[in-house]
Amino acid sequence: MSGICRTRLAEERKQWRKDHPFGFYAKPTKAADGSMNLMEWEVGIPGKTGTAWEAGVYKLMMIFPEDYPSKPPKCKFTPPLFHPNVYPSGTVCLSILDEEKGWKPAITIKQIVLGIQDLLDDPNVNDPAQSDAYTMFKNDKAAYERRVRVQARENIPK
Amino acid sequence: MDMEVFDSDFKVPGKEKKKSYEVDAESLSQAQVERLMSVDVDHIRGIFGVDAPVASLLLRYMNWNKERLIEKYMDDPTAINVDAGISAADEEPKVSRAASTTGPTRTTRSGKLSKVKSPSPKRDEPFVCPICFDDTQTETLALSCTHTFCASCWNAYVTGKIREEGEHWIRCMAEGCSLVAPDPFIQQALGDDTATWSRFQELLVRHFVSCNKNLKFCPYPNCTYTVSCPAAATKSSLSTIVPTVTCGAGPDHKFCFGCSVESDHRPVVCAVASMWLKKCHDDSETANWIKSNTKECTKCQSTIEKNGGCNHMTCKKCKHEFCWVCMGPWTEHGTAWYSCNRYDEKASQDARDSQSKSRASLERYLHYYNRWANHEQSAKLSMDLYKKTEQKMEEMQITSELTWIEVQFMKKAVDEVFKCRMTLKWTYAMAYYLERGNPKELFEDNQRDLEKAVEDLSELLEQAIEPAEIATLRQKVTDKTVYVQKRNEIMLEDTANGFLEGRWTWNATVEGFE
Repeated sequence: MSGICRTRLAEERKQWRKDHPFGFYAKPTKAADGSMNLMEWEVGIPGKTGTAWEAGVYKLMMIFPEDYPSKPPKCKFTPPLFHPNVYPSGTVCLSILDEEKGWKPAITIKQIVLGIQDLLDDPNVNDPAQSDAYTMFKNDKAAYERRVRVQARENIPK
Repeated sequence: MDMEVFDSDFKVPGKEKKKSYEVDAESLSQAQVERLMSVDVDHIRGIFGVDAPVASLLLRYMNWNKERLIEKYMDDPTAINVDAGISAADEEPKVSRAASTTGPTRTTRSGKLSKVKSPSPKRDEPFVCPICFDDTQTETLALSCTHTFCASCWNAYVTGKIREEGEHWIRCMAEGCSLVAPDPFIQQALGDDTATWSRFQELLVRHFVSCNKNLKFCPYPNCTYTVSCPAAATKSSLSTIVPTVTCGAGPDHKFCFGCSVESDHRPVVCAVASMWLKKCHDDSETANWIKSNTKECTKCQSTIEKNGGCNHMTCKKCKHEFCWVCMGPWTEHGTAWYSCNRYDEKASQDARDSQSKSRASLERYLHYYNRWANHEQSAKLSMDLYKKTEQKMEEMQITSELTWIEVQFMKKAVDEVFKCRMTLKWTYAMAYYLERGNPKELFEDNQRDLEKAVEDLSELLEQAIEPAEIATLRQKVTDKTVYVQKRNEIMLEDTANGFLEGRWTWNATVEGFE
């Protein structure tokens, strides 16, 4: 699989442009010299309608290692998100993004972003990554919900 | 250098018989463990009528617990086949039935194990691997789930799992697919990478060994031997024996079957050894510091560090006022704040007595700890002694008539000293926890005899060599070595017998002893 990282990412890019889920965006970043940096993508994940997350589009950086797709990309919300499974650094804790758990080389970028969207309104309480959101989610659901709605308003795309 | 040849010089009668401080253990090579595994696999294969790779996956899934596997399989074979990654959960009945009987490496189309061209949706279009998107790949592989990927992607994936993650349970690369690659598939995916394939087999052996209480993998780096020691398989057995074992790689690969505290902590049992080490780890430095830098308030026993000021102390806790020098109450001191000449007054003596009581337990611990640490230190220093001894041996060969073989007694003596220091070291850990009484006194008698003998021999070895006296020295060292060896045997044997008889009682709660 060595050396296939860029081929695969180029193909992912092609597939994404051909078809991608509604409300999402995903594009490789620009390097300093203006060329496209396939190894780092900027992704937008919309909250599902009918949930406290709706209307917000949450910005996330996807950083691909050289041995992708053997190894999963690192997904990091910028700025860090208030969510039980997001580390204070913004990194997402999700089994399909863990090479020793659910990561499979066949998982596509589309599947990853949909997986993260699912996680937004369905946090995994067995795997907390930050204490703020986790304790509030456990102890005071109403306050948690309010906080999430405020965060959604802050993330409405201009 | 092999010293065993010269053992006859030092032979202690009855050496062939198993000593009570030794355990029955057998060293198994990787091939021998693999044979044990294949016996289990064959057994399951025979009962369920499945292929060996399937039987192996089932056993691995159940952590090699044959009884539980048979029970579960009889209960619901489909469920366990799904759980063990042999067949997918919601497959067409044709495939799942086939998987459980013919093995998962075979595709539904072809009965052979060989690489198959994947069925592409349109006949003319070349196969595009969904992982690398390379349409020039011609070789493809798929598990019975028919998720097809190119051979080079499979190779990289399997290699990574084995080499980097040390994983033997390798699932299909497709998202959400829980099928597990059986051994022949792994071998096929690895192609001619025999190094990774043998690493995979080592991982299988390690998994098998870790599932079997009677087996332990030799902990030395890169060693592939396994030791079987059924006598030490249960937790309760560890209160009566100290299972020090060696693997087939040689006498250097010595380890304790019961714990990972230290390779040889005879004569003391695992629970006491680890208790002691834990205590030393927590306490020794702190205790030493407390002992040399603090005193206790004579009234409330709080530990006080005097970090400045005069001798008029006021305990922060109980407000007791006393003199730091004589420890007597301050009321008797008047205004002489900087000097104290009341050391021998009755009140001062009483105060010091009460303080010394609270110091006693600390002193007691330090007594044992210092001796323990001393033997450890001396044992380490015997590495230097080794070098010195080698020089001496050369010297002797030059200055006397002795041949190379005849000067080996020096080396043998150093080895023995090292061994005995290790025994002595642990006897102090044991003595710290032994309840006072006759057995402890006898134990300490043996300890003292051994210690004396070892120190005598050490001294002999350090002596300068007079050419005229080499013959006498040789005689003396040889005699002493035999004596030390005997004392060590007695120490080990008596302690081991004590454990078997339940003779030892402890002054603390020790795991495994009631």
